[in-house]
Amino acid sequence: MTRSDRSVGALIGVIPIVLIIGIWQVIAASGIAPPSLLPPPAAVFARLVQQLGSPAYLDHVATTLFRLFAGFAIAVVIGVTIGIAATGSRAVEGVVRPLVRVLAPVPKIALYPAFILTLGFENASKIALVVADAAFPILLATHQGTSAVEPKLAWSARATGTSPLLCLVTVVLPAALPSVLTGCRIALVISCIVVFLAEMITSTDGLGHLLVRASRNFQTIDMFVPLITISLLGLLLNVGFNALRARLLAGFPEEP
Amino acid sequence: MERLASIPGLPPILACAGLLATWEIAARLLAIDGLPPASAALAQVPAILGDPEALLNIAASLRRMAVGFALGVAFAVPIGLMMGRSQYVAAFFNPLLMIIYPVPKAALMPIIMLWLGVGDASKTLVIFLGVTLPVIYHSYQGARAVEERMLWSAAAMGMGPLARLTHIVLPAALPEILVGCRTGLVLALITMVTSEMITRQTGVGNILFNSLDMAQYDTVYAMIVIIGALGFALDAAFEVLRSRLVRWAEPSHDLVVGTT
Repeated sequence: MTRSDRSVGALIGVIPIVLIIGIWQVIAASGIAPPSLLPPPAAVFARLVQQLGSPAYLDHVATTLFRLFAGFAIAVVIGVTIGIAATGSRAVEGVVRPLVRVLAPVPKIALYPAFILTLGFENASKIALVVADAAFPILLATHQGTSAVEPKLAWSARATGTSPLLCLVTVVLPAALPSVLTGCRIALVISCIVVFLAEMITSTDGLGHLLVRASRNFQTIDMFVPLITISLLGLLLNVGFNALRARLLAGFPEEP
Repeated sequence: MERLASIPGLPPILACAGLLATWEIAARLLAIDGLPPASAALAQVPAILGDPEALLNIAASLRRMAVGFALGVAFAVPIGLMMGRSQYVAAFFNPLLMIIYPVPKAALMPIIMLWLGVGDASKTLVIFLGVTLPVIYHSYQGARAVEERMLWSAAAMGMGPLARLTHIVLPAALPEILVGCRTGLVLALITMVTSEMITRQTGVGNILFNSLDMAQYDTVYAMIVIIGALGFALDAAFEVLRSRLVRWAEPSHDLVVGTT
């Protein structure tokens, strides 16, 4: 695309978003749907801005973010370690591959009651669920990325006397960084969604709990606000992680 | 090891056996109420599957899942294919899809229930929403990668744009579309279970939490095993179907992951 093509493209892309908000506004204003069913967009966004300035609301956001990042961080450690171990050793791969084949298509959310029973209703069970969901994309991306690394790189390092383990960590893992980071980015958005759902199912705090509480009290505006907040958080984390990835990968060949 | 791994179907069975054995040993060592041994949980599976009410619940869940999945695929594939063949259509949808991507679809359940009530319509719509994005994405990628020369040849022989889309782009993109459908199928199951866990009215997710509230822990774990087996079986069945439909294409991804 040329430069003018690109700005035309950006303009076209705005159309459906404006259209949706416009239809929402028309339906709300015309009175087809009462505000208790569909509050006007302006009211929802005003409430969002107001809530983002309220310390009590930000407390819930912080709780959610803590669970999100704790789970994500553990998932990165587990996923990268197992992924690289499976590349480094055939025995590990022989064990991990069938386990992943069985566990990856299992809806991890079904494990949540088991986590509640063993880890309690507090943070631990929610963090465990985030780990269970986020570890798989990281593990797969790490394994695929490190398996595809040019073998000559590893051979050269081995020829200069690097131990197999050190070679995996200092040569193969950095060379597989683009793939690993893509896995992490997908896992980050998954973590964001899962933590919110876990909070909706059972919780006394966090953004998901706010949605459920508002729905019990029929406060429709307050149902939209946490949902928009978590989606914005996911969007920001996604964009932010992409920027970080581009910075970390400066000098890597462009991906197809 | 090598010889064992080469027998098809054996490694997953060994993996299941290993998981169950680990669970059994861990439960006996820890000896807490919240973690019954695997044998106790498995003993409850026939009881659930023999209970007509539970079976009806599960069947109703699966029916909604199938309808939501079918509608999602029927809606998503044409959009993805058109996005792949026209940069204007792609520019039209891409920013919207980027915004929708991080929205937790199952979390829309309480709002959708306000509008459509507690019936099948809400539950099916949520599953539909969960399925569409990955199918659009993979159809888009598949249609983008279609060889231009095939399209030129067809156009030169007088094939219209719509016929080109259904006769050339669709079959050429089919392997990639089916990868999207496989992710979509797993997501349909996840969305179904999650939305039922949130609303707690009917279905699989409801049985799960009802028995949790009544402290029937064996049943909770038996239900988890059933849902897990369902996920694995659906995925494996789709994989068999996929490899038959596109036997001519090389197998691409052998694993999928996804969430709502």
